[in-house]
Amino acid sequence: MKKIMNLYILFFLMLFLVALFRPYAFFYGLQRGSLYSLVALPLALILGIVGLLNLAHGDLLTLGLYLGYILFNQLRFDPIFSVIVIAPILFIIGFVVYKLTIERVLKSHHLNLLLITFGVSITLVEFINLLWTSRPRNVYVPYATKSINIFGINVGAYEFLYIAASIGVLLLIVFILKKTRFGQAAFAVGQNPKGAAIVGINVKLVYTITFSLATAMIAIAASLMIPRVSIFPHLGGPFTMRSFCLTAMAGLGNLPGIVLSGITLGLAEAIVQSIPGYSGWSDLVFFGVLILVIALKGYRRAVR
Amino acid sequence: MRKLSFIIGAVIFAVFLPTFADMYLIHVASSIMIFMCLALSWDMMLRTGQLSFGTAGFFGLGAYAAIIAVDDFSVSPVMSIFIGAIFAALIALGLGVAVLRLREMYFAITTLALTSVFMVLARNLSNLTGGAAGKILFHAIFDGDPKKIYWLILSFAIVVIALSEVFERTRIKYAISSIRNDELVAKSCGINIFKYLLFVFIITSAIQGAAGAIYAQQYAFVEPESTFSSNFLLLPVAMALVGGIYSTPGPIVGAIVLGFASEYLKLLMPYGHLIIYGIIIILTIIFLRKGVYGTILDKVRSK
Amino acid sequence: MKILRLENLTKNFGGLIAVNNVNIELQEGEILGIIGPNGAGKTTLTNLVAGTLEVSSGKIFFQDSDITNLPAHLRVRIGISRTFQTVRPLKDFTALENVVVGALFAKGESLSQARESAYKVCRFLKLERVDSYPDKLTVFELKKLEIARAIVCNPKVLFLDEVMAGLNFEEMKQMIQIVKSLKDEGMTICVIEHVMSVISELTDRVVVLDRGEVIAEGPYLEVSKNKRVIAAYLGEED
Repeated sequence: MKKIMNLYILFFLMLFLVALFRPYAFFYGLQRGSLYSLVALPLALILGIVGLLNLAHGDLLTLGLYLGYILFNQLRFDPIFSVIVIAPILFIIGFVVYKLTIERVLKSHHLNLLLITFGVSITLVEFINLLWTSRPRNVYVPYATKSINIFGINVGAYEFLYIAASIGVLLLIVFILKKTRFGQAAFAVGQNPKGAAIVGINVKLVYTITFSLATAMIAIAASLMIPRVSIFPHLGGPFTMRSFCLTAMAGLGNLPGIVLSGITLGLAEAIVQSIPGYSGWSDLVFFGVLILVIALKGYRRAVR
Repeated sequence: MRKLSFIIGAVIFAVFLPTFADMYLIHVASSIMIFMCLALSWDMMLRTGQLSFGTAGFFGLGAYAAIIAVDDFSVSPVMSIFIGAIFAALIALGLGVAVLRLREMYFAITTLALTSVFMVLARNLSNLTGGAAGKILFHAIFDGDPKKIYWLILSFAIVVIALSEVFERTRIKYAISSIRNDELVAKSCGINIFKYLLFVFIITSAIQGAAGAIYAQQYAFVEPESTFSSNFLLLPVAMALVGGIYSTPGPIVGAIVLGFASEYLKLLMPYGHLIIYGIIIILTIIFLRKGVYGTILDKVRSK
Repeated sequence: MKILRLENLTKNFGGLIAVNNVNIELQEGEILGIIGPNGAGKTTLTNLVAGTLEVSSGKIFFQDSDITNLPAHLRVRIGISRTFQTVRPLKDFTALENVVVGALFAKGESLSQARESAYKVCRFLKLERVDSYPDKLTVFELKKLEIARAIVCNPKVLFLDEVMAGLNFEEMKQMIQIVKSLKDEGMTICVIEHVMSVISELTDRVVVLDRGEVIAEGPYLEVSKNKRVIAAYLGEED
């Protein structure tokens, strides 16, 4: 408990210091980091309950973005509200992907699970490539490009939605896990699938719903990102990696930790980017941390 | 005996192929053999139970090392292939100490991340690597003679196949299969797990590095996006899976089948033909877990 | 002559103490029984000695040298072998190849030597279907395979973790003969067992563990009358 308190104190100290010395990086990093954790939360949910690392996670995000782009382009659907349409579609896609591929290899060797989501990832990316080509797509809505002035710094106003959304999704997941019957069953399955099956929980169903629901949650991130990114087929890959990085950093089952890790890494990225001449190195922040964190954790595991 | 004569026949055919084949076929065969070596090296690591997604990363490292060696250090082109292999092996040695403590998805995703790290480094160390624009080779190997390059690749492929067979026939097989089956038992039988994993990681990375170096010599060009392209991971994985994992003939068969199939596919659908590989990976894992070679072998044995 | 000595050995998993301050000495050539109710820490103790678990505190001496920090794969090379409570055959290998693994790496033999030793051990144990894969073997054969893989390493000390479990009466009789003949070969043996008739017939001495602690030590007949031991088995609080 004390250790956790110390971590929080450290975290807020870091926030304060960054805000003091690099105010622009502070806001930008906060927003980016929140977006990363917003994308990471569903991945962590699947990893925690189904025990599956979905390598196609980021590509489902890409798919959501393209759906939003089409809605906007064809039907003038406002990106923010497109979540109402994208979420159910992603739910169905998640359901189909799960039933067609993952469920069939769930009981076999763990290598097959990883490989099959790898296969799904490639298929999705190339499917998108086939359908929409690799040309980047952009959506412009006036409200997304407004900036506000805070203490003399110009920051994007729209991106503050990322922060609200990531906290919102975190609370939503915690609420589902703690307060609903399904969530409690899912939590039990995540802890001990065999035990859960013995007390009469339909593990297969829990897995299916968890996967589909988590996939649907990606729609929230997708709809928010639509007006702020260039949409192209390979956009999702790095997000899978970042999401796994945050999950590994927070530790399995630690959902609030994902938001904290996300913001920490978002800030670190923003700081590196703000150093003149070194902005290209910011991509290394996540990978460096990923390798460091899981190497340290893995080392501890090996000793035990 | 029949097996031996088949192998000798295949080698003779492969050696004399350039004397009667046209340029296009020589080119396709060269590229298939490069991917075959990557598929074999990926499978050799998988035989220890570790799923590596780092194939493209070490491939790219080897490619960059070779071109830099020739351009900036005036190393001879043939020598640069060894440099590519040794450089990849050294990096594998350094990283292996940390990475090989990981298992399952942690190992897989870290090796995937390494590929991105290498790519970011290649993009940013512009003094050495030419940055995002890439780097051009001044003196192509054998003055770019495709036949000679073909023979070079063929000899490399034979070396890799021989290595894979060494992994299948010596005590190495007993060590790595035991590790894959049950690490606790392996340990209790006196196997130094870490030593063997490191050994296999270094050897397979060296193969990937050499493959990258040869590829770079062949195309005389490296560039971050295309040299570290996920194709150099995706295709070998699909090839090994389709042919059949945990064996030497499996990845060879897979590389030949998919290699020719992809040439046809490229003509059929120039855009996004890689989707076929994704679908093939999914289908083989669900329906044909032992791959083409493994399934046929089972059929023959059960007769 | 003592061959193995555990000194104040303790192992805890987080808050749970599985082995608590255990002192045991193994005399060369004896068969020691380790008994105790489920969860007493018997298998944990085996893992500590074999090196597959790290000790929390305490020391392990083998032939008077401290091996507490020796990695597992080196312990088997100096002469400490073990079987697993639930059989763990390497499923991609035939029975013979399973045994070959031990000979190859624990003794450092060449492939042909290792095959030779593996055949010899299988013949000794009357394990006949050596070319079958583990999924085709019976429980008795799998238990023999466990032992074969352990003894092909030429152990000085052998830990047998519940090798009788799952065997019928006839098979148990054969297994007892096997263990006795291993003793005649000069091995020091530690049997962990639930079947008391086996313990009484095989062992020179027993150690009783309960909740990670040694609660009694001595010849089986003596120990079986010990009040604390009876209480531990009946689950009474004292």
